[in-house]
Amino acid sequence: MIAVATIEHDAELMLRVREGDSQSFALLLAKHRAPVIHFLYRMIQNQAVAEELAQEVFLRVYRSRASYEPTAKFTTWLFRIASHVALNHIRDGKHERNQESLDQDSDEGMSRQVASTGPTVEQQMLREARFEEIRRTIQLLPAKQRAAVLMHKYEEMEYAQIAAALECSESAVKSSLFRAYETLRAKLAHMNR
Amino acid sequence: MNAKNNSCPMQNENAEILLSYCARTLEPEQVIQVEKHLLGCAECREWAAGQQAVWAAMDTWEPEPISADFDAALFARIAATEQPSAWERWTAPVRQFLQGGFGWRPMLSAGAVALTLVIALSIENPFRKEPPVGQSVKLEAHEIEQAERALEDLEMLRQLEAPEEETSL
Ligand SMILES: [Zn+2]
Repeated sequence: MIAVATIEHDAELMLRVREGDSQSFALLLAKHRAPVIHFLYRMIQNQAVAEELAQEVFLRVYRSRASYEPTAKFTTWLFRIASHVALNHIRDGKHERNQESLDQDSDEGMSRQVASTGPTVEQQMLREARFEEIRRTIQLLPAKQRAAVLMHKYEEMEYAQIAAALECSESAVKSSLFRAYETLRAKLAHMNR
Repeated sequence: MNAKNNSCPMQNENAEILLSYCARTLEPEQVIQVEKHLLGCAECREWAAGQQAVWAAMDTWEPEPISADFDAALFARIAATEQPSAWERWTAPVRQFLQGGFGWRPMLSAGAVALTLVIALSIENPFRKEPPVGQSVKLEAHEIEQAERALEDLEMLRQLEAPEEETSL
């Protein structure tokens, strides 16, 4: 249990939301909007779907305000909801259908970026090819391993936080991360060496 | 950290420290400790180089820009959920009366009895008109979804308060 004196700022804001302060909710949204959407984007790899799921996440945060208790770090609680929403989306099989539109999106993205000024066309194409390889390799990881890697790499979350977000033990997170990075090393290590 | 060992301990029990080294989250003293080990251990050097390459590759994956109307859409959805439901609108006068502050407890019991009777009658009433099938199904699906979400939220909160031990991801 977190003592009142050491309560983190986000949890304090959430407690104010519980009291009906919508301004505090806007502050929480401003701070966590990007990390949540970026996490969901990298999980699902479709920006429109990621934003739709992020709406669901923040809606759940808002709806849970009455029962909110600061028993864990706010970010952990938030990413628990985000992981839950993403894993449910993948489990329900909505994911494969999104992949079709993703491929269209990335083709458009490539032509748009290649056409822009800056680095040469060859450099741009090389960069796009690398990006594509990273994207596809991460996509091949099992969903929970992928979530663990994304939280570890991009959100810089500790093992205990990831464990709480994914509802498993810390040792399970560690072994999962090691397996995931092993796969990534086997497939991506050649890229920057 | 025995550099002469063929299967280096750092790749087993202490691989965690090597991963943290590659993630640059170690304290300076630990960095020195790891770098000393790396000088004498080819296996760990290979591991670290691969991990750093993965890290660098992942750094190049920039997220997409977020839609400008994200917040507006969210606030609109919140406002929609904040609208009182049909049930809340119908029962508002009763709830206001119950919150009036006088003798509400017996009234609540009487109300519960009356409500039970109304439900029982509406279920048993042979003259009750059935709503069109599509409408009924739509309403049920909506209610089930709402109830499922509420249960999921509750379950999540419950588990967050008492994290359970589970081993496989
Ligand atoms: Zn070693």
